[in-house]
Amino acid sequence: MDTLIKAKGLFKTYLMGEVTVEALKDVDFELYAGEFVVILGPSGSGKSTLLNIVGGMDEATSGELYFKDTALHNANEKKLTNYRRNDVGFVFQFYNLIPNLTTYENVSLAAEISPDSLSIEDVLEKVELLDRAKHFPSQLSGGQQQRVALARAMVKNPKLLLCDEPTGALDVETGILVLKLLKDFCASFGKTVVIITHNAAISQMADRVFYIKDGQISSIKSNENPLPAEKVTW
Amino acid sequence: MLWRKMIRDLKENKLAYLACITIVVIGLMVYTSFSMVIDNLNLSQKSFYNNQNFAHGFAEVQAMPRSELEKLESLPGIKQIQGRLVKDVRVLLPNREQNVYLRLVSINPVKHAVINDVQLMRGIPLDEREMNIWIDNKFFETNNLDVNQQINIIAEGKKRSLRIVGMGRSPEFIYAMRTANQLYPDPKTFGIAFIPFETMDSMFSEQDVINNIVFNLEPKAIYKEVESDLKPKLETYGLKSIYPRKDQISHLLLTQELKGLQATAQTLPLLFLSIAGMILYIMLKRIVEQQRGQIGVLKAFGYTGREIMLHYMSYAVFIGVVGGVIGGLMGIALSYPMTSMYQHFFNMPGLSGKFSIIYIIISILLALGFSIFAGYQGCRSILTLAPAEAMKPPAPPVGKVTWLERVHFFWNMLTVQGKMAVRNISRNKGRSIFVFLGIMFTFALLALTWSMKNLSEQMLLDQYQKVETYDVKVSFAKPLDQMDAQRELQHFSGVMKVETMTEVPMTFKHKWHKKDVVVRGLTESSSLYNVLDKDDNKISPPKDGVLISERLAQLLNVEVGNELTVKSVKFKDQDDEKELRVVGVIPQYLGLNAYMEINALQDFLQQGEMITSAMLRIDESKVSKLQNEYINSDVVSGIEERAELLSKSKELLASFGSMIYILAIIAIITAFAVIYNSAIINVSERSRELASMMVLGMTPAEVLSVITFEQWFITFFAMIGGIPLTKVFLVGMAQSINNDVYTMPTNMTVISIVTAFFITLASIWIAQRMAARKIKELKLVDVLKSAE
Repeated sequence: MDTLIKAKGLFKTYLMGEVTVEALKDVDFELYAGEFVVILGPSGSGKSTLLNIVGGMDEATSGELYFKDTALHNANEKKLTNYRRNDVGFVFQFYNLIPNLTTYENVSLAAEISPDSLSIEDVLEKVELLDRAKHFPSQLSGGQQQRVALARAMVKNPKLLLCDEPTGALDVETGILVLKLLKDFCASFGKTVVIITHNAAISQMADRVFYIKDGQISSIKSNENPLPAEKVTW
Repeated sequence: MLWRKMIRDLKENKLAYLACITIVVIGLMVYTSFSMVIDNLNLSQKSFYNNQNFAHGFAEVQAMPRSELEKLESLPGIKQIQGRLVKDVRVLLPNREQNVYLRLVSINPVKHAVINDVQLMRGIPLDEREMNIWIDNKFFETNNLDVNQQINIIAEGKKRSLRIVGMGRSPEFIYAMRTANQLYPDPKTFGIAFIPFETMDSMFSEQDVINNIVFNLEPKAIYKEVESDLKPKLETYGLKSIYPRKDQISHLLLTQELKGLQATAQTLPLLFLSIAGMILYIMLKRIVEQQRGQIGVLKAFGYTGREIMLHYMSYAVFIGVVGGVIGGLMGIALSYPMTSMYQHFFNMPGLSGKFSIIYIIISILLALGFSIFAGYQGCRSILTLAPAEAMKPPAPPVGKVTWLERVHFFWNMLTVQGKMAVRNISRNKGRSIFVFLGIMFTFALLALTWSMKNLSEQMLLDQYQKVETYDVKVSFAKPLDQMDAQRELQHFSGVMKVETMTEVPMTFKHKWHKKDVVVRGLTESSSLYNVLDKDDNKISPPKDGVLISERLAQLLNVEVGNELTVKSVKFKDQDDEKELRVVGVIPQYLGLNAYMEINALQDFLQQGEMITSAMLRIDESKVSKLQNEYINSDVVSGIEERAELLSKSKELLASFGSMIYILAIIAIITAFAVIYNSAIINVSERSRELASMMVLGMTPAEVLSVITFEQWFITFFAMIGGIPLTKVFLVGMAQSINNDVYTMPTNMTVISIVTAFFITLASIWIAQRMAARKIKELKLVDVLKSAE
């Protein structure tokens, strides 16, 4: 399998007032093309920090990070912006849609800036929201909003989709629907999907699970027979 | 503790609050300085008029025996009436090429309760048996004269030597101009000399006559009634003009200046305080929304709504007090140079910058009033917020379809960022209106400033570059025969062309409107005096009627084709009333005149082929020879060089220059404050949206474009709205400025609109660059992690 992301000896320290907090301590890992990865860990373990660094939203204090052959650890703001623009998609716990753009417009906002975007209609059909294309976020339920956020991330046709607690604000049923879409995106388009969560149940559907604790990856477990999303419950 | 919170909150957005304070300061600086200058001028004028017994009425006659005057004193309504001799004479100052004139004004050194009494500032009383004079202080100082110095003048062609025994000033000559088209006093070339009547009488051929009358009214008398009684009595002696104090040129110009100052002092500060108020309102509303959680916590602690509100109001109070104090102090500082500028133009005693605490207090109160009102409006929502509710995040903003989306052609043209921007305009209506008004005001202020610059150039330069194109104008002391004068001047060496002119004072009446004007008779093919229409096309002076200036048409409420009723002291029978048809209306910015073809005018007067002045095209090297030849002649009252008039106009224009840049800077600061504040509020309010876009991979520039598109969109319409507003400003300005000497044109120039356009765009662009830094500072991770 092709390596998409390669991290070597990542450290991240924050200065909180006068206290130094080590959020990541010497983290090494690789992400492969087309795999479905769940990063599992309690809150404060450093999983969000890891995701933000991998997504080019934050920079490691030291260590090396590569996307394919491109070094990200010494990239400037322009290069990181390009990386986010062309190669990465994000999904957040709290959707972060633009309130005064409709479903369609929110998706097309992302499509407009990517060189290799998918058809907006196709993506909306995939997330089953074509009939809500003209609705504003305030007219949609939480699950629907998260699907719009998903569509917005997918339409850019990114090689890597990063999801920060994508089901955290949703009920079980809606959560599973979102997970199914993510899995589907991974399987049918061959994209790498990374989900961070503290919900252990989700790890059952992953190809690989990273366990993270106190800023370190404590273990990485491969899943021989990942479950389909429908079978997952919590 | 909350006090500290306030200071830190203010610091966080220091540039925004600083801009707000600056606007308050500008407004109050104008208010304080102008008010103090107005007070000073008013007080000084009032006491000077009272102390020197300034006349209520003035009359000029050809010649009237002195003894006849006493009879007039008994006329009803007249309290005092006094006669004088007033004549302009040429002064021979050593080593001076220019023409220098003194207006000799006779006074009676022994009489008490003199009307227009002279305030003696230095020297000794006049002796009526001596050839002695007092000189007005401006002329005295400017020309470095001294007491006991002898000064030579030419009276009726004879050289006379007068001894200066004192220096003083009179309320009649606060703003001393030789002729109305002099534009401003020039004490280097024109001054007043006060001289005993007997002494003056002995210098002129006609004995014991007066040519100028001043009078005071009884407390309850009405000027109009007194004038109608007095007029027929004076007509016997060749009445030239009779007018009340309000039309006396020095008084008129001083009053106009005061009116203009008053208008500025009342309107400009209100405009600036309103803008500052709007900024404060929006900033506070924003801060209260942003700090909802904190407010909830404070309420949960047990702080009352009032206490919290007072805390937020303290932001406004802080700005009000700081702005008020600085504005007041700067206003006081500015009042000194302003007063000294007025001292330069207006010759009055007691005109000194006075410190007045009252205006600082008023400034602070005004600033406080505005900021408290704006602040209260901005944060009153706190009062109704329950603590539990306050700690919850506010309801998410609701996206809505705007009416513009129905304009499909327009809507489809927009990018998604453009669509966001347009929806935001209607989402934040209040703020959009604020930006709209702010930009409209800025644009209009800039366009006004540049229009004023262009128009004052047009006003002052056109007259001496396009209209009057002679080299020299010779004015005659009395009407001369056209042929004789022309023949004489034509033969003078260096003279290439002579054109004659007849200038006649007339009273035009139309319905109940009435105006005294000078009608100019010009030769049909005149090339030394060009009558121009609106588009600068030359028009021949009419033979079958009269051309009048736009302002005159307005004052008389006449249009082309109307008949005017005309009276003139130059008619054979002064009571005669004749008719004249208005055949055209032309722009005229300096003076208030009417024009006719010279022969038609002479026929109309039935006084023969008389002229009052001649315009010459002359070899430049021969001008001084011409002056030497004629200036002492008793038929010549003045020789004016156009080049000199033009250079004086240019001098006056140069003094407007700094004023224009000050106004431009004010406008730029306003635009900056409006745009910068609205941009940073936008960034902080929509940080989440903007961060989301950055996560999607948009560059900071692309993200900024959402906000800037919104502002440009509003700016476009605001600038269009600014064009009619400029016109309103111009018309208002013209109304406060216009008088019989100046008429300010009100046409906006293309260049001023273009200049305003570019400066507005530039200041908006700079403000946006500054606001862009706030976008770069957005912490993507922090913004997006928090709950909505």
